[in-house]
Amino acid sequence: MASSLRHLAKASVLVASGALMLSACGSSSSTTSSTAKSTPLQTLTIGSSNVFPPTLNPTANASQAIDEVIDYNVLQHLVQLAPNGSIVPVLASSYTVSDANKVYTFTIRKGVKFSNGNPLTPADVVFSMKRVYAPGSTYPYGKIFDVSSVRQVGADQVQVTLTTPSWNWLYDLAAYSNGVILDPSTISTMATDPVGTGPFKVTGEVSNYSVTLARNNQYWGYKPHVSGVVFRYFSNADALNAALESGQVNMIDNLSAPSDATLFKSNPKYKVVSSLTNGKVQLTLNNAYGPLRNKLVRQAILYATDRKAIMDAASGGYGLIDGTDSVPADPYYIDLASEYPYNVTKAKQLMAQAGYSKGFSLQLILPPYFYAKLAAPLIVSELGAINIKVSVSTIDFPLWISQVFEGGDFQATIIDQAEGRDVSNYGTTGYYWHYAKTPQVAAELSAANAAPTKAQWIAGYRKVLKQITGDAVNDWLYIAPFITVIDKDIVGIPTTAYTESYNLSYVGIGGTIPASAKQLGYLS
Amino acid sequence: MQVGDLSAPSVAVRRQSGQPHELRRFLLRRILTLIVTLWLASMLVFVVLNILPGKPAQVILGTQATPSSVAALTAKLGLNRPLVDQYLHWIHGLITFNLGNSYISAQPIAPVIGAALAVTGPLVLAGLLVGLVIAIPLGITSALKHTRRSGIILSGLAQIGIAVPNFVLGILFIIVFAVDLKVLPASGFTTWSTSVTGALESLVLPAIALGLVEGAILARYIRASVIEVLRADYLRTARAKGLRPNQALVRHGLRNASIPVLTVFGLELSGLIIGAVVIEAVFTLPGLGSLLLSSVANRDLITVQDIVMLVASTVLVVNTVVDILYRVIDPRMGLRS
Repeated sequence: MASSLRHLAKASVLVASGALMLSACGSSSSTTSSTAKSTPLQTLTIGSSNVFPPTLNPTANASQAIDEVIDYNVLQHLVQLAPNGSIVPVLASSYTVSDANKVYTFTIRKGVKFSNGNPLTPADVVFSMKRVYAPGSTYPYGKIFDVSSVRQVGADQVQVTLTTPSWNWLYDLAAYSNGVILDPSTISTMATDPVGTGPFKVTGEVSNYSVTLARNNQYWGYKPHVSGVVFRYFSNADALNAALESGQVNMIDNLSAPSDATLFKSNPKYKVVSSLTNGKVQLTLNNAYGPLRNKLVRQAILYATDRKAIMDAASGGYGLIDGTDSVPADPYYIDLASEYPYNVTKAKQLMAQAGYSKGFSLQLILPPYFYAKLAAPLIVSELGAINIKVSVSTIDFPLWISQVFEGGDFQATIIDQAEGRDVSNYGTTGYYWHYAKTPQVAAELSAANAAPTKAQWIAGYRKVLKQITGDAVNDWLYIAPFITVIDKDIVGIPTTAYTESYNLSYVGIGGTIPASAKQLGYLS
Repeated sequence: MQVGDLSAPSVAVRRQSGQPHELRRFLLRRILTLIVTLWLASMLVFVVLNILPGKPAQVILGTQATPSSVAALTAKLGLNRPLVDQYLHWIHGLITFNLGNSYISAQPIAPVIGAALAVTGPLVLAGLLVGLVIAIPLGITSALKHTRRSGIILSGLAQIGIAVPNFVLGILFIIVFAVDLKVLPASGFTTWSTSVTGALESLVLPAIALGLVEGAILARYIRASVIEVLRADYLRTARAKGLRPNQALVRHGLRNASIPVLTVFGLELSGLIIGAVVIEAVFTLPGLGSLLLSSVANRDLITVQDIVMLVASTVLVVNTVVDILYRVIDPRMGLRS
């Protein structure tokens, strides 16, 4: 709860955060140059358990692996999300919001250059933002970029008008890679050499193996305390752990098996940093399938699942027990984890009340992910206790997308709903879990977004969260953790994983980071 | 008779074929069979991949894309055209040595496959070399001594070698040589352009892990083949002429023993390529195996099609060459069959 209060408070200090970031930028050059003289900068090699980025162009593909490397590090946004959850101005030096969250006016930061030497202009910003919603656009997050016009105002401002007012749009612009600002002259080479204004630039790529970034010496802000960063990809957790132990990599950015943290926790050579993501690991229930149409059956399932035991098995106990579609970083977060305490007797009663005391059979389709495979056996035995006979099959992710997500052809699945602030899915017509009250939720969300005050917006969203939890639309299990293992002298990595980007703006091997960066949530 | 034939096989072929056009006709037939097989393989690969559920555009753009973006991307990739058109377009590309552009990165595929081959090619060759270096002495020695305890032990060792999967060996090697002894890299690949020694170092453990198992398999065949030859009449004759057993085997037996081994060798090549896919995953090498797996996961169908056709062509071509060699080594096979 303390953390949720902190996050509620944070949203009101946007300007202050921006100022912090600016002060960080201002103080940076002296810190960096003085240390750079004494010791040559080293290259940071990150062992990543992610898949290799299928392309380096985040505007052409939804893979989070692209955003992890390129977003914020190479390509920057007008505003970005800091690890502490606050929205900070980056390529905009300031911004104003008017017309009840419908019109956003950004003042473009002066003196910023792309890594190829071209200056950043308001025209570049207009070009980049119009490109998202132009006809034939193939940007991956089109659904959350509800813009009707973008135009330059005066010499250094850009004004964005939304189709409908939104309390979420600024967050979406900051958090999702649709917000990247591009140099129009470099569009054709973005797949292999995206050129941006960020602290790093791409210098090399070995397909299915590594992406190399070098420090961008033209960078306008704080310069990271490394000469470059190499992301090396490991499809095999054992090989990745061995690479860290043998010194081939300096850190593991996210343990694919969180329980592996015990291998490193007691070793003084390493630090284990665990944090939360936006990911809601959930047993998704197809509300249109037979017995699952009945709210009592769905509630029985929620009572029958021991979420603590599942989190222990699937993520080594890391994470946070969840009870709705929200994480502590959301301004509207409420803790509903205790709404359905583990209670088999109660679950059986509800099953009997629904007329299913003899149970029914349920097919559980799993995507090929570690957490799903580890959680499934417990789900099978726990639902077995209330006579639901679960049969399990695993399919590959493209098939999951096609059959489960697109086709809605499933009974139940276990998935990490990884997007931030995605409660709007419950108001999306035809969304794969087929929630019966979707139109009602859509109306409530849009009313909340049009609310004149933030408090009313938050109240509206909380009402929706309580409603979906009351209706037991899905069985929200836990919030997925993000576990980093680092050599102990590494500083400046983000202490949370609420963005798709792995922001390395403040990273360093040895040394310290500015106090302002620490306040924004970077590891000191 | 056989002894004489075997000492001059090329003469034998010429003698038996009588006219050179028979050899030409045989080669032509083999090459035609190869082309038809490749064509059938291409159809199979194309059909199987294209009926696979999971639309590339939806996979590429993810769960938050608008339907109009997905439609726009499908059209941009040319995936809204009839399948026959797509097939012909792809095949035309292959015939003109144009592998096309990746659906995902929109970049030409050929350089990507080339870079992956620079890892997998040397890995498979080195694995093969390790396999042969192990198999030939082990197979022959265990055959020569197959009735003695040492032969049985050697044969048992080969059996164990077959039973241990190469990925287990790989993991074992990483623990012993990289993590504990720190003499070789735990995983990964230094590109050839960065450092040739580095690249070679990266391939030592993977090649041994790959080659040991193949060596053990080949050793079993060599052993069986040599034992059979040792029992042959012509070898007894050669020994009766006064040759020592080893001399008789080297001069008259090995060529005969090599015929079945050659067949197995051709088949094992595909085993080595599949083994390389697994070994690449264990040692995180950026080879053809990793490229294939990631392309399947990303539904980069055209890249998958190209790689599968490349591997299929290699295996088919090697098998054709083995088939031809076979008849060159053993003229008894004839050219008509």
